[in-house]
Amino acid sequence: MTTATAHQPTSDKPKAVPGRSVIFKIKRCDGPGKPFRWESFKVPTEPGSNVISCLKWIAANPTTTDGKQTTPVVWDSGCLEEVCGACTMVINGRVRQSCSCLIDDYAPREGDTVTLEPMSKFPVIRDLWVDRERMFNALERVKGWVPIDGTYNLGAGPQESPEHQQMRYALSECMTCGCCLEACPQFLKEEDPKNWDTAFIGAQAISQARYFNEHETGARLKGDRMDVLTGPGGVSDCGNAQNCVKVCPKHIPLTESIGAVGRSATVHAIKKFFLGH
Amino acid sequence: MSDNAGFLQKHHFLIRRLHSLSGILPIGVFLIAHLVTNSSILWGGAALKARGQAEDLSLTQGGIAYFQEEVSWINTQVPHLLLIEISLWAAIAFHSILGIYYATSGKSNLAHYSYQDNKRYVLQRWSGYLGILFIFYHVATLRWGWTFLVPSGTEWSHHFSASTLAAAVQGSTSGYTAIGVVVSLFYFLGVSLLVFHFANGLWTAAITWGLTVSEQAQKRWGYVCTALGAGLMLAAWSSLAGAFLTDHDTALEVESAILVEEHGPEHLEHLIEEVMDDEDHDEHTLNTTDTDNNEG
Amino acid sequence: MSEQRVIVVGGGLAGLAASVRIAEAGLPVDLFSMVPVKRSHSVCAQGGINACNEVARQQGYSEYEHFDETIYGGDFLADQGPVLEMANWAPKIIDLLDRMGVPFNRTHEGFRDLRLFGGSLFKRTHFAGATTGQQLLYALDEQTRRYTAEGKVTQYTFWEFLYPIVENERCVGIVAQDMRTMQIRAFRGAAVVMATGGNGLIFGKSTNSVICTGGAASRCYQAGAKYGNPEMIQVHPTAIPGADKCRLMSESARGEGGRVWVPKNVGDTRRPTDIPENERYYILEERYPKYKNLVPRDIATREIFDVCVNEGMGIDGSNQVYLDLTHRDPDYLTEKLGGILDIYEKFVGENPRFTPMRIFPAVHYSMGGLWTTYTPGDYNPDSPLPAHKSGNPIPIDSNPGHGLTIGAPNNMMTSITGLYAFGEVNFAYHGATRLGANALLSCIFDGLCNGQSVVNYVRNEAPTVDTINQSVYDNAVKSEQDKHDAILATSREPSEASPEYNPYQIGIEMGDIMNAQSTVVKTGAGLTKCLDKLAELRERYKKVRLADGAMWTNQSLSYTRSVGDMLILAEAIAKAGLLREESRGSHYRTDFPDRDDDKFWKTSVATYNTSTQLSDIEFVEVKKGLVQSRPRTYGKTDDAKDTAKTPEPATAS
Repeated sequence: MTTATAHQPTSDKPKAVPGRSVIFKIKRCDGPGKPFRWESFKVPTEPGSNVISCLKWIAANPTTTDGKQTTPVVWDSGCLEEVCGACTMVINGRVRQSCSCLIDDYAPREGDTVTLEPMSKFPVIRDLWVDRERMFNALERVKGWVPIDGTYNLGAGPQESPEHQQMRYALSECMTCGCCLEACPQFLKEEDPKNWDTAFIGAQAISQARYFNEHETGARLKGDRMDVLTGPGGVSDCGNAQNCVKVCPKHIPLTESIGAVGRSATVHAIKKFFLGH
Repeated sequence: MSDNAGFLQKHHFLIRRLHSLSGILPIGVFLIAHLVTNSSILWGGAALKARGQAEDLSLTQGGIAYFQEEVSWINTQVPHLLLIEISLWAAIAFHSILGIYYATSGKSNLAHYSYQDNKRYVLQRWSGYLGILFIFYHVATLRWGWTFLVPSGTEWSHHFSASTLAAAVQGSTSGYTAIGVVVSLFYFLGVSLLVFHFANGLWTAAITWGLTVSEQAQKRWGYVCTALGAGLMLAAWSSLAGAFLTDHDTALEVESAILVEEHGPEHLEHLIEEVMDDEDHDEHTLNTTDTDNNEG
Repeated sequence: MSEQRVIVVGGGLAGLAASVRIAEAGLPVDLFSMVPVKRSHSVCAQGGINACNEVARQQGYSEYEHFDETIYGGDFLADQGPVLEMANWAPKIIDLLDRMGVPFNRTHEGFRDLRLFGGSLFKRTHFAGATTGQQLLYALDEQTRRYTAEGKVTQYTFWEFLYPIVENERCVGIVAQDMRTMQIRAFRGAAVVMATGGNGLIFGKSTNSVICTGGAASRCYQAGAKYGNPEMIQVHPTAIPGADKCRLMSESARGEGGRVWVPKNVGDTRRPTDIPENERYYILEERYPKYKNLVPRDIATREIFDVCVNEGMGIDGSNQVYLDLTHRDPDYLTEKLGGILDIYEKFVGENPRFTPMRIFPAVHYSMGGLWTTYTPGDYNPDSPLPAHKSGNPIPIDSNPGHGLTIGAPNNMMTSITGLYAFGEVNFAYHGATRLGANALLSCIFDGLCNGQSVVNYVRNEAPTVDTINQSVYDNAVKSEQDKHDAILATSREPSEASPEYNPYQIGIEMGDIMNAQSTVVKTGAGLTKCLDKLAELRERYKKVRLADGAMWTNQSLSYTRSVGDMLILAEAIAKAGLLREESRGSHYRTDFPDRDDDKFWKTSVATYNTSTQLSDIEFVEVKKGLVQSRPRTYGKTDDAKDTAKTPEPATAS
């Protein structure tokens, strides 16, 4: 997160023209197996417009720049505060949340174009809405939970140093948005769930596995997690392009997680070799 | 699923780690030794003089002599050389084949995510592909004697290490040819990419194995790998510059002198005959022996 | 015969806590959610979760005091038993969350850290950074995933609840629709737990997520479930109005010297920094010379609202005022408020250190919700007790069962037997306004404590749903399919796209009128006007025209359907507000500025009248008897009387 300094902000970005219209070029698809097509919409902006508000405008006024009446664009969204992860899409070629994407930054002049595409690594449901079930499946595969004895009143959890809490907190903010996977050259689209067990699992699940391994009770399942992460599609499939950490909207230290899980994997494999478990 | 894929999946992690390891041991270690040895053609003269040896030789001649001695030692003193070589080739083959398999399982996306790390990710893969081609050419021409791939048609000999090398990269025994310059450029590209591949691979291996976890550690290790890479790059370019700049005849003269000194003139003639019998078309390789004999 | 199953609708904190508890007790759960449960609105809660703790306890705090604070904070409108039980469970809930791995902030020694929050003099709020709701939701999501992996919970993600199935006055299942394939089908369930959250979208742009339409609650309401205190809507005074939604701006901005102002000249288009001091109207400083910008939250909310809505002095004629920090040193601001200023910068694109922020109150939380009942616990004092003083002996310990009879099948059951309401969608805990950091608690408490009630109901009282005639379910599906097809058919009607019948336009107009007349400052005239407008919108809605005729992933259809449901709930909200002729908690009537315990210490209970298609409101005695009523002043009675300026009633024109 940037911090401010005492001097006036420099105007390094072009000043947005008020009351302008912006062209939204949207990659559309009516459903799985249907062909893609591009449609453009001319959308009037107001100060503070973001991609969501423009998509809402299109939903209410679904007419293309050619004057053709079309269907409202379908997209996924939730909190609009960049904490739920739903509204992730590819904007001008790069993946990010659309709620925090301000039009003034992307299209400051009259007639500027903003391109919207669905994430390319997940199957499209319709238009900009993709199915990220694979990410939740990955969390299940790495046993992403703390195996508590039950919800009964059994006293407090393990004590923890503030430093360790801060480390876990940084990992805990993952909102399963998929930016890290969209930008990863090793993580590829895989529509068939049968292949999810062997295709690269990606930074999200690796980092989450580390998160649970770092909890005293959560660590009881570390062996199971490492079995998955040392298997096909596990941590060793990482190509160290490190795009994940750069596109993560929550600034989660994903590459550190990959290193940490790599270390656990080394230890796990050696232990397994010599101790047999 | 085929048995092949089953085996790969069952031992996925082990194979991945062996792939990573093989890049360092033996390939990386060999690379370091190889480049240091080869670059001695440039700095060997100074080294000899520092030891107070070869006072009658110029720096250039000293370098050739030093290089020749190193090569001779390897080829005559190192036990089970062939076995070592075969192991090395096997390791390279293992690293290459798996590397291609792994690299083609990714899909680079530099167009929209042109971060420095991502560029290195892409370069790591392309340096691998080209590196394999280069190593194959390099070994085939200079070790396996596939002289039809050598523009000068000469065969490399460990008795005449610098002169035959010079001929191979310069395109002829009598100076530079156009095709020789192309070969040299290919060498330049090949060794540079391989040095990058090794240094960058060393950096990523530390993450893969979990040696560097924190961002700072990765950064610090990055400096170490950069320094090592820079050093090796210097050695690689020195080796290549040495081979490219070494005058064939001067080298042959120094090499012959060493042979004569160590084994007597008969041995030299015997060697020359051997080579003549082997390769009837490269007569001028050794013909020049008698000409500019007294230069220097 | 297969096992009796439980249906949980909604995968936020309440729904997940319920799923975990019910699955743990051995009943299979079918969990329905319109979004992957990890994206539920609970994720937005920032501040923390309240609970008595050892540090506070040794300073004189207690679970009982937490209970007392909550009743007092809610202006005595909440039924008292469930609140006592919730406060008593709170520390145990924190322990459980701790065991689940929630990264609560820590002290140096490694204990859970605490922060001070509104409504208490003790540090009793546990927190995990600035994303406590996210962390708690994730912890419960993880436990749910564990049960899902074990086959005890079946998740129906991207399924929208359409209607409860009621047979012989008992809820025996639901009709739901796959939002992708548009398939409509019935699900049998021996009990149904509604955990569908709030209804902020009725008010247009709120702080809520886009899924918080209140549609599910409205459908239960239309099916006969009563709705309690619909008019009790919490408005947060300082939110960042965005083009798509409103995002919270912490009150600490005012605490650090933020000044609230608008240009004196209506329609002044100059940049705020170019407007000279003498042409600025410092709303709170001029109206409240004593407290200035630090007036209590509700007063600030009302004055900002008044200036914009009633006097039309908002910036550029919009509902926005400046919250100005630019007179403070930027480095100081970064040190004190860095996080929240960065959020503003991220979503607005302006640096609040150099440009005044634009803010406006925004709808935040619905205290009201589906009316629920309960079986009281064993604590029944002879007469209600006066205010609890910190450190005094507590009248009752914190063991379970004092406020509610644990496991009683009717706990948090709606007026439809077998249909439960947990979390924000019920009306049970927060009375007329909610204390900060109590929302997360009430959601988890419902799931964990009252999940047991669901289990007991299913085991002991519920009909065997597998033996119910299939025609009951087929008819329910047909009814929903017909409604669905009717809306879909409008997309094929040839008509020039008149905005009058555009569902989005109807939604916008509903939000505008509800926000203006039924939130911060209410008047009889304004609410009447609001009801008239809602009637007009309902008429227009009958001719609504859908722009998308797709039979696959038709979001427009889903939205259009929920607009109809929102209009019905909106009417109940406005009408209850009109009939409650007093001011209590978040409900502020300028024409009735005082609390009137004699007439209105009562829950407003709305019943949907299927013949008029409007709400019938009755006022039912609050279940009290534990603590006495007292004025809710927070010790500022005299000052507030001295300086309070009652905003003028909104004109009906």
